[in-house]
Amino acid sequence: MRDVAFSTLEQLGAAATDSEGAFQMDEEAFRLFYERTARPVWAYLSRMSGNARLADDLLQETYYRFLRANVAHESDAHRRNYLFRIATNIVRDHRRRPRMDQSRLADGHDAAEPIDPQSADAAAGAVRRLDLARSMARLKPRERDLLWLAYAQGSSHKEIAETLGLKTASVKLLLFRARQRLARFLREGVR
Amino acid sequence: MSGNECPREADILEAIAFGRWPDGCGDLSAHAASCEVCADLVEVAVALHDDRTALCREAQPPSSGMVWWRATIRARAEATRTATQPISVLQGIAGACVVGAAAGLVTIAWQSMHWMDRIGELAMRLESRRADIATASTFATGHGLPILVAVAAGLVLAPLALYITLADD
Repeated sequence: MRDVAFSTLEQLGAAATDSEGAFQMDEEAFRLFYERTARPVWAYLSRMSGNARLADDLLQETYYRFLRANVAHESDAHRRNYLFRIATNIVRDHRRRPRMDQSRLADGHDAAEPIDPQSADAAAGAVRRLDLARSMARLKPRERDLLWLAYAQGSSHKEIAETLGLKTASVKLLLFRARQRLARFLREGVR
Repeated sequence: MSGNECPREADILEAIAFGRWPDGCGDLSAHAASCEVCADLVEVAVALHDDRTALCREAQPPSSGMVWWRATIRARAEATRTATQPISVLQGIAGACVVGAAAGLVTIAWQSMHWMDRIGELAMRLESRRADIATASTFATGHGLPILVAVAAGLVLAPLALYITLADD
């Protein structure tokens, strides 16, 4: 049994080496890129899916699809946008899939943030974030994507259009409307 | 300036993005308090910016090595699945052929049962011609040895001839 297990591990190790040829970058380049992007992508996936634990799985899927995509990137910014585009599509696919834990997605506030209860600032921050999560959950998925990319990620209208598959000209108006709605929900939450 | 934009939005966004909001933005803060567009912008952008900062701080993504390793394993599994797909198709075809051959054999067996009836009829006829058979048996007994030798030679030489033919190929 033990021999079989070792043999399997060896095969998997060899497989890993062979499969590197199928990826668009080598391991070292990937490590550098991952260290720069993993946290923002995880934050995006977490807030867009409304589920921090699910974000871990979606993160793995995002980077897998990124590595397998045979796309030439003209710049690092382009590469990052492409990564967010994949993440957006993965969250969309996930939303379309009927799931047992859909209620968690609808709630949109499964952040499970570790908060120091003795800190008033931390508590106030947690309340604000809970308000934001609830307000975001009331928005349409595309509105959430738009707002996060624009104001959390700092993407330009052109980058948002590329990521979400929209026309650049329509991003401004869609963003304005989404912003109005979220601002209203946030104020309602505060009251 | 139209109803849904303000020329100072970019300045406000920059101040929020670089953590200068609201301290050190007296003029902009005063503007945001009086401009509906900028008030919404501040409300939303500050909330999202703070949320992103907190999420990035809390995030515990797996190591790059782990993500890489899982990706390579999965890539190999997918490659194997793709490579074995034609084999699976061929196995399906082979299975269908076996089923077809089995069906053919059953049909042949069914027909052979009718043949057995015919053999029965033949035996009946032979019974009626027993006298002729007795005469033939007497002839065979008289010339038994040459017939036996001929049959044995045939049994030995036929496989030998077949072997020589195939060996030449």
